[in-house]
Amino acid sequence: MRIVDATLFALQIPFVEAFAHSVRSRSSSDAIVVRLRAADGTVGYGEAVARPYVTGETVASCLEFMERTLWPAVKSADYAPWVGQEPIAWLGSLTLPTEDSADADTGVVAWNAARCGFELALVDCLLKSAGVSLGELLPPRRSVIYSGVITASSIEGAVKHAKRFKQFALPHIKVKITGEADRERLAAIRAAVGPEVSLRVDGNGAYSVEGAIATCQALADFQIDSAEQMIPRGNPQELATVQAASTIPQMADESLITLADAEALIAAGACQGFNLRLSKCGGLGPTLAIADLAQSAGIQVQVGCQVGETAILSAAGRHLAAYLPEISFCEGSYGSLLLREDLSRRPIHFGHQGLAKPLKGAGLGVEIQDSLLEKYAQQIITLPSKAA
Amino acid sequence: MIALSTRSLIETQYADQVRAFERSPWFQRLEQGQASPQEYDAFIFNLCQTHLKSPQILSFLYAVAPPEAAPQIKHNLLEELGLDEAAICHPDLLYVLATAAGFDRERQTRLAEAAQAQIRQLCTDPLLFGTMQELGLSVLLEVTCFEWMLSRLASRIGKALAAHRGLPSESLIWFDHHSEVDIRHAEEGLDSVEQYLAYYEIEAEDLETILDITFRENIFIKRYFADLPALAGATHENR
Ligand SMILES: [Fe+2]
Ligand SMILES: [Fe+2]
Ligand SMILES: [Mg+2]
Repeated sequence: MRIVDATLFALQIPFVEAFAHSVRSRSSSDAIVVRLRAADGTVGYGEAVARPYVTGETVASCLEFMERTLWPAVKSADYAPWVGQEPIAWLGSLTLPTEDSADADTGVVAWNAARCGFELALVDCLLKSAGVSLGELLPPRRSVIYSGVITASSIEGAVKHAKRFKQFALPHIKVKITGEADRERLAAIRAAVGPEVSLRVDGNGAYSVEGAIATCQALADFQIDSAEQMIPRGNPQELATVQAASTIPQMADESLITLADAEALIAAGACQGFNLRLSKCGGLGPTLAIADLAQSAGIQVQVGCQVGETAILSAAGRHLAAYLPEISFCEGSYGSLLLREDLSRRPIHFGHQGLAKPLKGAGLGVEIQDSLLEKYAQQIITLPSKAA
Repeated sequence: MIALSTRSLIETQYADQVRAFERSPWFQRLEQGQASPQEYDAFIFNLCQTHLKSPQILSFLYAVAPPEAAPQIKHNLLEELGLDEAAICHPDLLYVLATAAGFDRERQTRLAEAAQAQIRQLCTDPLLFGTMQELGLSVLLEVTCFEWMLSRLASRIGKALAAHRGLPSESLIWFDHHSEVDIRHAEEGLDSVEQYLAYYEIEAEDLETILDITFRENIFIKRYFADLPALAGATHENR
């Protein structure tokens, strides 16, 4: 099957409320949607969320890489339609090219958001063309339970959020921490939600090794189930030092972008958990490969998300989270709880207790509204189907 | 220190919502005659969309109302449908407004569909609350907050549409009705919230959280101005 047409939508969807963590505060989503059309007329949607402080990609460089490298590869390929092949191998066959040469001077760790955008669009398009749900390839084992995330605003604001999540009976909450009043923050949140709710923290690399160790020690009283990316991405040995000195399980997020990262973290005994995020890891194929490696190494996996992702990435994340043999926590599917409008016709967001059912529709299982893509597009790039 | 009474806690929230709306750049632009005809029309469309399904929403509230509040909500519902002594169907008044604004058949059809879509969304959105009592409270708070706002601002909005959009007074009866009638409604609305809280034995802490969830955005700006482009100095986020 050939892909004959591609359109990139660089979006700007306002948030209902501003979202902050130690690295960035944002008030709108800057997701990029990739729309592909196959020769038989089927249309598929993928999504990339470029994060300079994660993979090094920016919206502009991501669009440029898509146009320069990914689209030529996609339009010249002839994709095997889905006819019941081994699912993981078939998904793997859609994996998109990386570019080794330019990376040194661009500061890009990997063009994973861009690759994810195209890969998901291919998956959606090819499966829709076959009339098959991604859930048939990745059979769901369970409903998914989503976590609430409390962002680094004032402690008063954090407590408000905690109480909302308690009202919604979310069993898991992640708290963004910055090194400022961490103990007070966690004490206030723990007091607000009670002893039953699982709490974990995410430092987004704001701490030194010593600072991370001290903070984990200081927070241990509040029964923290995981500490995510306390120190910046760097030598896995440093994270191993934090893990060795801490009773709280450490989780790698920004440190885990590529399969090579995963191997190095495992070799160093750097952490007990991986945060898998599709846009960070390059799409379903590469993420499943990392998950597989993690499982055989006894590393727990969390399915994470991108703040400001739309229903497309949320749907793909839902399939992943429902399929993986075991996940510790899951994030995402905030949909219209965070975005002023989400792109799907039916709402994607979770309900009471953070619960959401696996999706059943063809492809990724969400119906994307083109009118909203146009409404929120800051930039629309139509890629030529024939070489000039 | 004595905690705020429930009633004043709620009224404070309503007053904050109304103040933020009144001071918002779009409200000022519309009231001061700075908006373009298309912008006035977008506002009229959104306002009609917001209120066209009021009878349906009130009938939901009637269904979940405690016995003390039920007669009042039933009366509101009948009034809304034009089945009381006044015999003026409020959705019809909104169509009169839309027609006066020059909305053609196609635009009025879109308006009806947009209003219906809001009901559909209410029903298809996964429920975050654990029971109907919290959802009912949240809807009741929003409805009574609208009444509270309209009782204070409806006539100003109507005047602005007459002065700057050139609409005749016959087309603005909806605003007259909501500014005069709703002064009483607004007070009765607060009574019904209190009755609801008592009947379902909702604790103060849960009320506070449900207030916070219901009013995390400015409900008026969200409903009336959502599709209008952001203006400089807009404070859409966090009220
Ligand atoms: Fe009315
Ligand atoms: Fe009324
Ligand atoms: Mg993280």
